[in-house]
Amino acid sequence: MKHRPTRFRALILLGIVFALVAAACTSSDTPDDSGLITIVARCKAAPNVEDGRCNNLLRGVVAANAQLAADGDDRRVEVQIIQDNADWGDYRTEFELASSAGEAPDIIVSGHEDIGVWATSGIITDVTDLLGDYPEFDDVTPSLWASTELNGKRWGVPQDAEARPLYFRKDLLLELGWTQTEVDSLPANLASGAFTWEDMLDTAEAAVAAGVVDEGNGWWHRPVNGNDFLYYYYSAGGELLDDSGALIFDQAAALQVYELVGGAVDRGILSDTLLGTSWADWNSTVANGNVLFVFGGSWQWSDWAVNYVVDPDGEQYLFDNLGFGPIPALAAGTNEPTTLTHPLLYMVSSGSENPDLALMVISKATTKELNTEYALASGHLAILTSQADYEPYTSSVFLSEVGALLEFTTFVPNSPFFSAWSEGYFLGLSAVESGAATPAEAVQIVVDQLQNELGVDVIITGG
Amino acid sequence: MTQQIEEESEALASAAVGAPGPQRRPLGRRVRSTASAYGFMAPAVALVLTFFVAAGILLLILSFTDLQSANFNDAWTFIGFDNYERLFTDAFFPKIARNTVFYVFTTLIVFNLGLALVLALVTTSIPRRAGFFFRLVWLLPRLTPSVVYIMMWQRIGSADPFGIYNQIAPEFLGASGGNLYLGGSPWTFVVLTNGFIGASFGMIIFTSALESIPKDLLTAAKVDGADTWRIIRDIKIPMIKWPLLFIATYQTLSLLTSFEYILLLTQGGPGLFTTEVWALTSYKRAFASYAGNNQWAYGATWAVVLVAIALLLAVVYVKLFKFNELIEEPRIENL
Repeated sequence: MKHRPTRFRALILLGIVFALVAAACTSSDTPDDSGLITIVARCKAAPNVEDGRCNNLLRGVVAANAQLAADGDDRRVEVQIIQDNADWGDYRTEFELASSAGEAPDIIVSGHEDIGVWATSGIITDVTDLLGDYPEFDDVTPSLWASTELNGKRWGVPQDAEARPLYFRKDLLLELGWTQTEVDSLPANLASGAFTWEDMLDTAEAAVAAGVVDEGNGWWHRPVNGNDFLYYYYSAGGELLDDSGALIFDQAAALQVYELVGGAVDRGILSDTLLGTSWADWNSTVANGNVLFVFGGSWQWSDWAVNYVVDPDGEQYLFDNLGFGPIPALAAGTNEPTTLTHPLLYMVSSGSENPDLALMVISKATTKELNTEYALASGHLAILTSQADYEPYTSSVFLSEVGALLEFTTFVPNSPFFSAWSEGYFLGLSAVESGAATPAEAVQIVVDQLQNELGVDVIITGG
Repeated sequence: MTQQIEEESEALASAAVGAPGPQRRPLGRRVRSTASAYGFMAPAVALVLTFFVAAGILLLILSFTDLQSANFNDAWTFIGFDNYERLFTDAFFPKIARNTVFYVFTTLIVFNLGLALVLALVTTSIPRRAGFFFRLVWLLPRLTPSVVYIMMWQRIGSADPFGIYNQIAPEFLGASGGNLYLGGSPWTFVVLTNGFIGASFGMIIFTSALESIPKDLLTAAKVDGADTWRIIRDIKIPMIKWPLLFIATYQTLSLLTSFEYILLLTQGGPGLFTTEVWALTSYKRAFASYAGNNQWAYGATWAVVLVAIALLLAVVYVKLFKFNELIEEPRIENL
């Protein structure tokens, strides 16, 4: 039997490798012979509850193609989604590296503060002049557009919004000796400022002393860094941006925050091991009623109902046992209740060859029907004015009540320097909570870090 | 073979006529005789040039720029030694350096050398099948995907009431036994997780070295009345000197640049950089930022300094352990 020459086989193998590499390098949104253009969308979404974030884009394809046909445009579009629940930091890095390599998805969903970095580095598209082509965007709640802006331009379209409430256990407060009337009136007292942050800590301390909750379970915040900690600083009277847009670190406000959390640890209200707890343990402990007061997010309500307390009775169990209101006023600070809203945006990559089609698909996902379905499943707030009287949305008791917290809302700044600020500020907080530094030492550590990291781009005040 | 005989004849002829040394061979012949050696080395050289030298040079250049997410698409701006100044004036630079030294040498001495040697000695002293089985068990951490492995440790070391250890230990050790958790004893967990993986590498190398010690040496020692400890100290350890020195060198450099288990386990915390090591800082500056704006150039600066330290250590080890003796030609051939 005669074998083919080895060289011939090697050439075939080489040809296959080249073909594979060439296929891998083919741009994803290059139209195929049928004129079908693929739009790739990347979303981070918690499974079971936030899937609509990318799925709504898929569902908008039919309407987008109908619109194209009606407009006499020969192009047709399909959407490919990449959706998982990656860590936020990894997710952002992935987009930056993909952009640099020319392989960014057409659409990315991320926090509005990312436009600070991404618009500055030019990896997302300025959509200011394109938005007018899509009437669906006229329905977006006007105040939300502010979160999409940097340097007077718009860099994305709001995808969702949320409130970050104080959750309290009704059953534990009753066990502590509160009357039903006192428990029922707590949301109103939080909103009026009658029940302050200091009152919350006193109540939590009493609950620990009475054995209603374990030591360290009087009050919990999130177990990792996040935007929640920013409203502590706001509550203490801290300013974040000066008129020129430079970041400010107010030492007096930070000191107050650090004394607040350090004091809570010293009093046995807050556990010194809370930071570093896994989200799974955190959610399980909170949802099953082992913590009296919790600073959380509206999206967690849905997560708990679907993934953590299904057996007790899902959302009904939560309504029976969990109340919520704004973050209490810090009497020693601004003395005003607060919360924080952190809209996610659909952004179009500057590497996209078809930004108009990407926006077309986004516009078809920005409808009251699709967004309401997403909001109900994920515990997020309406982003469209038409949802205010859309029965499926208004019939959600939770969303209607938690939406009222927007009266007290604050935002994260769109600044390319916020990341370093946030990490420095959190470093101080974690140092105090773990006992590695006193509040005063922590402030100095943060000042050193921020000056080392940001130099002239941070203004230190309140010394 | 013919060529070798010819060379030897030439050398003998030179010696016979009292020439000062072997004559230089013709260029063509010299090229032919060394070409195969270079050929064998070529793939390794290409890899080192591509993934170490070229990458190292790029890293060095990057460390003199201000590249970060916010200017990722701009042309590089060179800022001199600013990043280096920033690094050495960082308030936590001394702590991170101390952590790195502690982590590398504790893990190395206790586990990668110490435990590895004990395992190799024990598993070569018991019946062969049993020894094989126990070595396989010790290889499991290395065979387990790192994320799965660390998740197991997180479940073991979570604070009360979640941790497996804290649920089981009080049953056996009383109340005080239930006081070990990741947040409270982070270094214990960091060293254990890395050590259990690192020990298996040395164990395999030491086992093969111990197995290759001629049995008659050990028998002779026993006949002379040497006890087990004496055999280990005076025969086995001296006979595996080179593997020991190799593992010490290799694992020092490996630990110096390893950070993935610490990243997954503690993220360098808790509190103020408690378990943060140099390589982790480099990674975090360049690739991990909660709210965006990764500082590529500053991360590269940390990496450049780490590479310099590693190179320096490599030279020190080579000199200190006299590795040139290991690779020199056997003296018997020079006769």
